[in-house]
Amino acid sequence: MQFLLAISRLIDTVNEWVGRVVLWLVVPMVAIGAYNAIGRSLDKSVGTRLASNTYFELQWYIFSLIFLLMVGYVLKHDGHIRVDVVYARLDERGRAWVNMLGSILFLVPFALVLFYVTLPLVSFSVQVREMSLDAGGLPRWPLKLMLLPAFILLALQGLSEFVKNLAFLRGVLPRLPHEAKGEVA
Amino acid sequence: MVLQGGGVELLGGAMFLGALVLIFTGYPVAFALGGVALIFGAVGIAIGEFDLRFVGSLPQRIFGIMSNYTLLAIPYFIFLGLILEKSKLAEQLLDTVGQLFGPVRGGVAIAVVLVGTLLAATTGVVAATVVAMGLISLPVMLKYGYSKPLATGVIAASGTLGQIIPPSIVLVVLGDQLGVSVGDLFLGALIPGLMLSGALVLLVALVALVRPKMAPALPPEARPYKGWELWRRALVAMVPPVLLILFVLGSIFFGIATPTEAGAVGSVAALIMAAFYRRLSWKVFRDAVVETARFTSMVIFILIGATAFSLIFRGLEGDKLVKDVLVALPGGEIGFIVFVMVLVFILGFFIDFFEIAFIIVPLVLPAAEAIWRAQAEALQMAGNYDLSTEAFVQGKLLWFGIILAMNLQTSFLTPPFGFALFYLRGVAPPEVKTTDMYRGVIPFIAVQVLVLIITIAFPALSSWLPSLRGTPGG
Amino acid sequence: MKRRDFLKKAGIGAVAASTVFGPVYAQTAQRIRWRMATSWPRSLDTLFGAAEIVAKRVSEMTDGRFEITPFPAGEIAPGLQVLDVVQAGNVECGHTANYYYVGKSPSLAFDTGVPFGLNPRQQNAWLYFGGGLQAMQRVMADFNAITFPAGNTGVQMGGWFRREIKGPEDLKGLRFRIPGLGGQVMTRLGVTVQTLPGGEIFLALDRGAIDGAEWVGPYDDEKLGLNKAARFYYYPGWWEPGSTVSAIVNLERWRSLPKEYQEIFKTACREANEATLAEYDAKNSPALARLQRAGTQIRPYPTTVLQAANRESTALYEEIAAKDATYRGIYTSWKTFRDEIRRWFATNEFRYDDFVRNLR
Ligand code: NA
Ligand code: NA
Repeated sequence: MQFLLAISRLIDTVNEWVGRVVLWLVVPMVAIGAYNAIGRSLDKSVGTRLASNTYFELQWYIFSLIFLLMVGYVLKHDGHIRVDVVYARLDERGRAWVNMLGSILFLVPFALVLFYVTLPLVSFSVQVREMSLDAGGLPRWPLKLMLLPAFILLALQGLSEFVKNLAFLRGVLPRLPHEAKGEVA
Repeated sequence: MVLQGGGVELLGGAMFLGALVLIFTGYPVAFALGGVALIFGAVGIAIGEFDLRFVGSLPQRIFGIMSNYTLLAIPYFIFLGLILEKSKLAEQLLDTVGQLFGPVRGGVAIAVVLVGTLLAATTGVVAATVVAMGLISLPVMLKYGYSKPLATGVIAASGTLGQIIPPSIVLVVLGDQLGVSVGDLFLGALIPGLMLSGALVLLVALVALVRPKMAPALPPEARPYKGWELWRRALVAMVPPVLLILFVLGSIFFGIATPTEAGAVGSVAALIMAAFYRRLSWKVFRDAVVETARFTSMVIFILIGATAFSLIFRGLEGDKLVKDVLVALPGGEIGFIVFVMVLVFILGFFIDFFEIAFIIVPLVLPAAEAIWRAQAEALQMAGNYDLSTEAFVQGKLLWFGIILAMNLQTSFLTPPFGFALFYLRGVAPPEVKTTDMYRGVIPFIAVQVLVLIITIAFPALSSWLPSLRGTPGG
Repeated sequence: MKRRDFLKKAGIGAVAASTVFGPVYAQTAQRIRWRMATSWPRSLDTLFGAAEIVAKRVSEMTDGRFEITPFPAGEIAPGLQVLDVVQAGNVECGHTANYYYVGKSPSLAFDTGVPFGLNPRQQNAWLYFGGGLQAMQRVMADFNAITFPAGNTGVQMGGWFRREIKGPEDLKGLRFRIPGLGGQVMTRLGVTVQTLPGGEIFLALDRGAIDGAEWVGPYDDEKLGLNKAARFYYYPGWWEPGSTVSAIVNLERWRSLPKEYQEIFKTACREANEATLAEYDAKNSPALARLQRAGTQIRPYPTTVLQAANRESTALYEEIAAKDATYRGIYTSWKTFRDEIRRWFATNEFRYDDFVRNLR
């Protein structure tokens, strides 16, 4: 169990740091979104081309990176939405059961299936160096490639949650990870 | 493909039940939906009724979400809302407006509806408006002792206005499905949308009158200012958010930004404004960034879970199940409309608007067109030769699109699969129970149904504005 | 249909029935059901209709044994990802425009059509008899798919503008919504190209966030309401002079299909190719008249604009050809074909068209 908990801590650290770095992408995303609108309006008067599909696509590239790579971090911080009609009435052990079973029966398989079905798509896209079809568009393959680490980070965090809840149920951990910190995302 | 009729369709039906049970255990909605999809896909494969390869379209659908430009409105408007909230500019607004209506019960809730209406005019993405409204106004209402059901109900309902008051994604999807001009739908939805917002105000006023405890007037100690001083303060407090909303609306209206970019432009303006009022600290900025990233991932992964769910649902021919329900449509326009409306309303309890639009509209469209074509021909026979059948049918379809959108509006609110409720859940503090939200939305759903009936009964409400519109002057 | 009902009542199984009464092909008697992912929203009813024609005719010619169900864009996969799901075998077949995949292989542009390329008849001549289809099928084989022409939009329109375009200088700094190769040519003419999705076009154009937008032709543009957002409607759509839309089939599924069904599928595609063009021609003329009556100003592109655009198109093709060998091969033979068939059309067709144009 201690070994599993060590792995879980490692996963937690990885997702924590990926999340902490990736979340700052919000700043360039907002900036580029505003730049697109303003640049397009100024185009005529400035006489050079400020707006283009490059920035237009860049904003949704960044948007994708944010939600994809943050997924493990959000799971670690128990930030994914729950309908707590029943959950709120369960005691700590009951919640641990829900999270332990949910992680191993639903989340991890879902993430692994996503990884498995995405692999051929991504490898082909990389192989042909897939591009945008539009003028000034960006290469598509690096973005599609990012799907893979996202699903891995999700699957790993699912495993980590499984281990932590299991450890709690077996009395190895004194408290549930989220409730220990009293965190609400 | 080995899909044959019979048992498979029931499997599709069982999927809903499975998702329902799983979501109610409290496991995160995104992965409960995804997990149920996988389990039923696996069962389908095991009994030879489902082709594994079909699941392979999932990454394409996820890539479709990634490259969906319109969804960018979600992080943009969430960021905008967070800056307003963290810098306390929003609180100040609702606070002073609340004081202004201080002696009036329900004042803050009415302010929420009005702000929600303005926000609705800037974006058509419900997730964005519900999250933004929840962030801004829920803490204020709770602080002043509003009942939790009323507070969450009014936020969910006002936040959802974004999808009927143009611009709106729902209207874009319906325009696509019905083959009606999106521009006409936008114009046509304006009056019914504003009516709905007015009806929400009336409902809040009524609740405040009948159940004063749910929407209390502010206590005297929360209203330190009186008379001119209060008015002056209210006006000062109103300046930043109202300016900001006008700025967002104006950037769309004057063609500077697309409705999606307006959120980004508005965010930058909000930052500048917060800085101007000396409310912009590093902490405010950092918290807004962190939470925007979190909410974005949280909201989009619900969409990803939902897209997995609906792919498998379709793979198991669950859409055929719905079709079977529709086989014998009762004749006549009124019977048809009533039937479709009731069906959409009931489906709204379980599945999201996008799937309803995709499943129901193609099924009922041929019947609808046949009915209206026959009506047009009957009118022509009766001597109305100026009437063009095409124009008549298009007019009817426009009206049909708007009442469908009004009806789908409720699907965001109806428990258990009301997406507005999921999003609000994500930003509500833990002491607000999901059951509070479920109870809270019921009167608002009732009001929506009422407005829907009025819109059905008086087609002019939706056809008048589009009819004014010719070709632009240049 | 009645025959089948009778047989059902008589309790004779479908297999036995087809061997006894069925036409020759029915010896296969194999029941096949395919899904067809398409790139078309339901509102593009003529293009979605092309997919429906393929499905309907295949079903009719096999007495219902080979059933194909077309799905609008987004129901199985997003509209621009049809090739991906066919390639991976997630669905058996699709209906799409192959120039959506130029990001994967630039040569696929020729399958649909390129700026200043072939008109619909010339395009069919090239595909069916000029070696075009074989060339495109060789490219598509790399994507584990086979393609067949299955619809044509005719010469498209040149888009909606809020202001008049009097010469190439009016294009400089203009914000225009146009995807694909046409957008690349426009960029070279100084246009700021913004590829907004279909649903965003109306409001952006109406409010002036963009100065112009192109969609398809009068019939489809009218439905999008673009005439209510911009006043000037330009012709011709030189970037899409006769866009071919295609039915694509996963290669393994194609190979496992009985020979008869393969032939039936190809025949159905040919019918869709012809019928869709006819349908567009029939629908577009009254739509244009309606638009005109409602006040839309219909304008030809100035010759100077067309010349500049043609120049940039050629330059663009040469650039791509320098980088991509497959493209270079196809482009060279395509160009020869184009020049020859243009001479023939110029001698005969255009002279006739030119004369009747002025008849009343
Ligand atoms: Na809206
Ligand atoms: Na076009």
